[in-house]
Amino acid sequence: MEAIAAVANGFMDLFRAGSETFVAWVTGIIPLVVIMMTAVNSLIKLIGEDRVNNVAEFATKYTITRYTILPVLAVIFLCNPMCYTFGRFVEEKHKPAFYDAAVSFVHPVTGLFPHANGGELFVYMGIAAGITQLGLSLGDLAVRYFIVGVIVILIRGIVTDRIFAHMSSKK
Amino acid sequence: MAYHAVTIKAGKGGFGGPLTLVPTETRNKVVSVTGGGIHPVAAKIAEMTGCPAVDGFSTGVPDNEILVAIVDCGGTARCGVYPKKRIFTVNVLPVGQTGPLARFITEDIYVSAVDASCISLADESATQAATPKAGTPTNPTSAPKTKAQAKAEVAKMNEGKEKNLATRIGIAIGGVVNKFYAAGRETIDITIKTILPFMAFVSMILGIISASGLGDVIANTISPIASTLPGMLIVSFICAIPFISPVLGPGAVIAQVVGTLLGVQIGLGNIPPQYALPALFAIDAQVGCDFIPVGMSLGEAEPETIELGVPAILYSRVITGPIAVLIAYVFSIGLYS
Repeated sequence: MEAIAAVANGFMDLFRAGSETFVAWVTGIIPLVVIMMTAVNSLIKLIGEDRVNNVAEFATKYTITRYTILPVLAVIFLCNPMCYTFGRFVEEKHKPAFYDAAVSFVHPVTGLFPHANGGELFVYMGIAAGITQLGLSLGDLAVRYFIVGVIVILIRGIVTDRIFAHMSSKK
Repeated sequence: MAYHAVTIKAGKGGFGGPLTLVPTETRNKVVSVTGGGIHPVAAKIAEMTGCPAVDGFSTGVPDNEILVAIVDCGGTARCGVYPKKRIFTVNVLPVGQTGPLARFITEDIYVSAVDASCISLADESATQAATPKAGTPTNPTSAPKTKAQAKAEVAKMNEGKEKNLATRIGIAIGGVVNKFYAAGRETIDITIKTILPFMAFVSMILGIISASGLGDVIANTISPIASTLPGMLIVSFICAIPFISPVLGPGAVIAQVVGTLLGVQIGLGNIPPQYALPALFAIDAQVGCDFIPVGMSLGEAEPETIELGVPAILYSRVITGPIAVLIAYVFSIGLYS
């Protein structure tokens, strides 16, 4: 009898640890994320898509802005996965590189703008939870994640552009 | 060549349908968007309809030739993309109306949890009824047009009526408040439909890992790798290998679970906190590799571009994945020290 009770207790313990984690996340992460997301979503609606489109068209002209400003705007304003529709502003030969740059930014953006990719927050938040546990502030990590993200998508855009050009010339 | 219409119903725990697919001379491609290769369900539909099955991952297909798209999306992005374009979508996983595009996933265009037993030949009467529907997908431009018309009508009605200042301020405030309210609704929607379910599933896994003692095993194997630069370069390289990256991609589920596991180790002090930044890039070299053809078609890329673009991006990641880790490593100097 005691053995059975011990097994049952052990079984419950297996889930009790999970329930504690769940409560910590729901009370610790969700309220802030909800308020931030609401604020940024409102701002986006107030600015309006048309104005963003004008900037986007301008940003496609130069290599540097095409793989920095354009994908960053797309991800922040249209969110994942609709941000890839900004590819329509880009010349055909640059479309793979633009996609590569945009998709590579959908996680670095979440540190500062969680609304942009609400379904995939835990790439950042999972790691950030450990930092919070150590009692350190997240601002520094979020800002650096964003900056490195912009540098990485620029490099990724340029490299993919080269590879794609090379492959099309061989065909 | 004669095509046959088929009816597809939802499987156990599935959503939507039944869909009746009627192939025509132009709209006759069964596109399998399942991370490479033809999914058995796609092969079965192709066989029964007499239509060609196409690997949507390596070959681009114009939207107006797609009879049906087969996806294996767990509920993040892909399952909503085709319904948004009003293309029939068959999801082999039991996923209902979720994800950022949930509102486009409706029963008349989408069916999920489909396996081979869900597919049957349609009878003639159903074919007749379904033909016009399949032939004329809802025109996406119709909505804004009616909106414009409505606007014109309202403007006409208001003609001659001079609005006073108070009314105009009232209307402007009402508009702004409505936008805030809509933003709040969207936020709660995504919290309930995607963030909370993910938290539930990951906290369950984490709980089991920590309570069962598996956590110590992970701490002893992952932590040493994730707290050195060469270790992280290797992780990013593995994630970026062209035949592995599309498999690791879907919904970023793997990156999210690994991220959470690393977070636990950072919290326990097994991995120094400044390694958080390079680690974020090391576990994410595969980001979006499962989504390349769909993402590019959202950007209105030609099928030829998509065909070459997929390998171009996959090869590029092998180079840029480790580079990203190096840059992040440089930028982590001075972080939390």
